Amino acid sequence: MRREIGKRILINSPENENAIEVHNLHKSFRLPTERSWGLKQAIFNRLRGIKGYKDQKVLKGLNFTVKQGEFLGIVGRNGSGKSTLLKILAGIYYPEKDSTIIVNGNLVPFIELGVGFNPELTGRENVYLNGALLGFSNKEMDEMYDDIWKFAELEKFQDQKLKNYSSGMLVRLAFSIAIRAKGDILVLDEVLAVGDAAFQQKCNNYFASLKEKKQTIILVTHSMENVRRFCDRAIMIEDGKIAAEGDPSEVAEKYMSLFK
Amino acid sequence: MIEYKDMGIPKVLNKKNRVLLRELTKTDFKLRYQGSVLGYLWALLRPLMMFAILYIVFAKLLRLGNDIPHYPVYLLTGTVLWSFFTECTSQGIQAMLARGDLIRKISFPKYIVVVSTTFTALINLAINLGVVVIFALINGVQPSLSWLMVPVFIFELYALSLGIAFLLGAINVKYRDVMSIWDVCIQALFYAVPIIYPVTMVANSSMLAAKIILLNPIAQAIQDVRYSLITTEATTTWNFFNNPIVMAIPIVIVVIILIVGSIYFRRKSKFFAEEI
Repeated sequence: MRREIGKRILINSPENENAIEVHNLHKSFRLPTERSWGLKQAIFNRLRGIKGYKDQKVLKGLNFTVKQGEFLGIVGRNGSGKSTLLKILAGIYYPEKDSTIIVNGNLVPFIELGVGFNPELTGRENVYLNGALLGFSNKEMDEMYDDIWKFAELEKFQDQKLKNYSSGMLVRLAFSIAIRAKGDILVLDEVLAVGDAAFQQKCNNYFASLKEKKQTIILVTHSMENVRRFCDRAIMIEDGKIAAEGDPSEVAEKYMSLFK
Repeated sequence: MIEYKDMGIPKVLNKKNRVLLRELTKTDFKLRYQGSVLGYLWALLRPLMMFAILYIVFAKLLRLGNDIPHYPVYLLTGTVLWSFFTECTSQGIQAMLARGDLIRKISFPKYIVVVSTTFTALINLAINLGVVVIFALINGVQPSLSWLMVPVFIFELYALSLGIAFLLGAINVKYRDVMSIWDVCIQALFYAVPIIYPVTMVANSSMLAAKIILLNPIAQAIQDVRYSLITTEATTTWNFFNNPIVMAIPIVIVVIILIVGSIYFRRKSKFFAEEI
């Protein structure tokens, strides 16, 4: 059974004012209905003419655009489809057939901090590995290496294995690497919610500086405070569809009313 | 300027992918022997120990291979190449699951994960071949120009392993039974490949069996390495059949497995992030 997939087109045209265009975005997942998920069951199902999975519709036709230099917030309840949307934008999942996504420029996603961090390796080794995953060359990593540790305030722990770090230290190190990433479009999933108050302040400063630089950003968050503070525009997703779009305060208001 | 790129076609090993490949290989290699007292030495010790066992059982007790010159080195070469093949395929098949965290969280060409684990196996093989060469020299094998042919056959064995890793690795993402099946296949293949016994011994009892054995690309590659490195007494597919058309069969098998494996992997890799 071949599944048809939609289009994710990458272009690079600075004169185009749209950074991202999403047209008629649909996505469903195949969830296995059987408890066992192996070869025996697959052959059995094929013989009996059972599909063995059911389609779970997650995104049901999204349309929106992100302008260059815009700070877009995406809000919605758990399970509304926000993360799936981000993963499709990031190219991790493929969109379904008839969907079209146009990404204009270099998109850098942060679905999770510290991807590929390995507890058995030292901080130094992990920094280089994580840097490679973010697309940095070794030369670039050498240049920013000291800054990374300084920003994370963890210089003393460079040669410790990561398993000896506290969870707060891990997040600080990961964030410190992540913010080095340079892309035309940054896609961030909940990364604001890290560290203690002092580190939060640093993060907020970083986001403020991005906003000042007119960096194109898509931020998925549950923090309405951040939506009001940073975003130029916001989108609320509910049950796989866009339920509200526009002014951040109004969207935040609508989001809060979901819980009343 | 507008530049269209289809995300289905990864730019094979552009700079970014090369850095990623190198870092993943390094990590893989470091992690494999992490936490063990002898560390990297295990890369050497494992095949040597396997060799010691096989040597005692088959050469000393069962007296196989008495008519082959330099039989201990001949045996060691076989076990080293066999370990390479099993390591390459087993680790390659499991690579996608082992690196599931990356596949779910970032977008990158998935084949890098498989290739990086097979590179680790290649590094191990290089170390082990160093040992083989030292043993060979101690054993009185004369260095010769035919040694230059060894990388060619190793490349063939590598291409086969990579093809198997792509094909079975892609299926293994969805059906985890594949790894267990492959474990059994490896056990069976070990006896189907003339690693411990000389092909001539089989030929004495059944000519047909010997022919089938030598059409297996693994057997062909291993025998050719032994022929070029250790002794021209080694039976190769070439000197057994002496027929260019038959000689092409193992090579065709390798090419087909590699092509089918790569195409299947590429097609399935789009959904790995959802299925892992």
